[in-house]
Amino acid sequence: MTTRFLSDGALKQFVQALMAKGPVIGPVARKSRFVFAALEAPEDLRLDYDTTILPPKKLFFPTKQDLVKFDSPSSFSGCVEPKEQVLLGVHPHDIKGIDMSDKFYAANIPDSNYLAHRAKTTIIGSNVQKHYKHAFFGSVCRELKPQGHDMFLTRLKGGYLVEVRSKKGEELLALGKFEPASREQAAEAEAVNAAAEKNCPEKLNDTSDSVREKVRASFGSDIWNELSRDCFSCGSCNIVCPTCFCFDVQDEWNLDGVSGVRSRCWDACLVSEFSEVSVQGGSENFREERAERYRHRFMRKAVYLNDALGGPACVGCGRCSGACTADIANPTVAINTIMER
Amino acid sequence: MPKPRVKVAWFDFACCEGCQIEMTNFGEPFVQLLQHVEPVEFREAMSEKTTERINVAFVEGSFTREADRARLEEIRTRSDIVVAYGQCAVSGGINALKNHMDDYSEAVYGKDCKRPHLDSQKALPVSAAIKVDYEIPGCPMDKAEFIRVVSQLVHGTTRVYQPSYPVCMECKRRETVCRYDDGDHCLGQVARAGCGAPCPADGIPCEACRGFVDNPNEAALAKVLHERGGLPKKWADTKSRMFAANQRGDA
Ligand code: SF4
Ligand code: SF4
Ligand code: SF4
Ligand code: SF4
Ligand code: SF4
Repeated sequence: MTTRFLSDGALKQFVQALMAKGPVIGPVARKSRFVFAALEAPEDLRLDYDTTILPPKKLFFPTKQDLVKFDSPSSFSGCVEPKEQVLLGVHPHDIKGIDMSDKFYAANIPDSNYLAHRAKTTIIGSNVQKHYKHAFFGSVCRELKPQGHDMFLTRLKGGYLVEVRSKKGEELLALGKFEPASREQAAEAEAVNAAAEKNCPEKLNDTSDSVREKVRASFGSDIWNELSRDCFSCGSCNIVCPTCFCFDVQDEWNLDGVSGVRSRCWDACLVSEFSEVSVQGGSENFREERAERYRHRFMRKAVYLNDALGGPACVGCGRCSGACTADIANPTVAINTIMER
Repeated sequence: MPKPRVKVAWFDFACCEGCQIEMTNFGEPFVQLLQHVEPVEFREAMSEKTTERINVAFVEGSFTREADRARLEEIRTRSDIVVAYGQCAVSGGINALKNHMDDYSEAVYGKDCKRPHLDSQKALPVSAAIKVDYEIPGCPMDKAEFIRVVSQLVHGTTRVYQPSYPVCMECKRRETVCRYDDGDHCLGQVARAGCGAPCPADGIPCEACRGFVDNPNEAALAKVLHERGGLPKKWADTKSRMFAANQRGDA
């Protein structure tokens, strides 16, 4: 693997060079939080962000995406037009999340819209300089290593250690003043990233395998009623999650009753209508109870997808914990409670 | 040959007529709508009153006087489809704030308070008097949603999709900073979505002006409004009466 050093001044010039070629999306401030958004100036980039409200998945699959416009039953056209883009400043655990999304959307019937956006995106990761208050990425999903990105930056004194991760990443070297990196700098960067994992403010106490077995065994337990008592079924914990991938498709008709648009938007298994299906003219809900839906998310994250992924479908970003106004979505609290029983 | 236009009529009961005004603010979509519907009664924009058959009746305002029942029943008999629009019609709306008070009359109307036309009962949704086929919530109702629902109805669709989940879903999808993260409170967790969550995006709490979702967790709401939102206990307990008085457990 090629490593380089990029000084603070050279980073700014590198970002400028990237911006001259096309949109560069990075973490920028929004009030007290951060969001991934197209940079308007290199100074907008906040590599010292803690986390973003929504995960970077939105760059490949916008929260609402028009799919097909139709003028009549026989005349329609797709409206997804992926463009080259650079996604800059993705934390290692979010890179894992993207890698999981890549797998989910490529499996079974490949999701051509997601995959087309993904293929046109260059991903430059960066280390966690500041922890989100609920982050626990150091104690979950350690089986998987971040992969699928093109370059990775680690903050050192006066600049960044740069790891080149792909051919696309190699080509980026021409755009900036990358200096040779010393062995010491590379070792320092490794230590910085290891410390970020170790210093997470929150923690899962047990291994993925033991969590999987115990959570699976708790399926019929009353603990789910207990844990979900304050749940609003609001879906916030799903919407902010980098590993959730469910969506809903709707047709919207124009007033002429002939033309319209088919679009999809992010869905959430915590909301009641998610599990509502039409049955012989009426409808049935196969997860009618609040607790069943609450339990389902944990089963998905800790049990059901492990075989397909090689680890739990949770990267420990802590977004769900912070998004839940009832403060009951936190996986470290819920799972540690189950493990202690 | 063009399809015959659908005959529609608008009726209002106890309300501020704000939703009708909202409709006349439509501009272009309303002009388009007129290619498909033929208004036969619309007090805000036309003067004639009719007795002819109506395909779709839009009813605004809450049912708050027994005397209105006969008028509502007549509308039901004349109409193929009845759409309640605006929160007053859907849940009793803001009018229902009075339902748990008995001392407002004199304060509001002064010495005139005993005059017969001011006599009213509990403010109830239109559905408390007649069968309602579709509801378009909101105070005022959302123009885009109105068009969305009506464009399906005028073309004969019987099952119209409206989200049943809370406003938080739409708020999160547009990546708004949560009011609670800003040290504020919000009712988006129990409010019916469909508006696109404009209020938190503008930096103000969702007041649930579209009423409750089907199974609002009222106990959790009171707890979160108090503990995280910082509202005094009593206020936290009654906060959602503003637009959802008739949908609360204590209605
Ligand atoms: S479950 Fe929560 S902590 Fe885990 S990846 Fe999803 S949002 Fe992050
Ligand atoms: S947790 Fe729920 S919303 Fe997320 S991917 Fe799994 S089923 Fe879908
Ligand atoms: S766990 Fe929290 S965020 Fe998730 S649906 Fe329930 S209340 Fe909403
Ligand atoms: S601001 Fe309100 S609507 Fe938005 S996520 Fe927070 S509680 Fe939900
Ligand atoms: S965000 Fe809440 S208060 Fe605002 S329009 Fe929507 S339902 Fe009404």
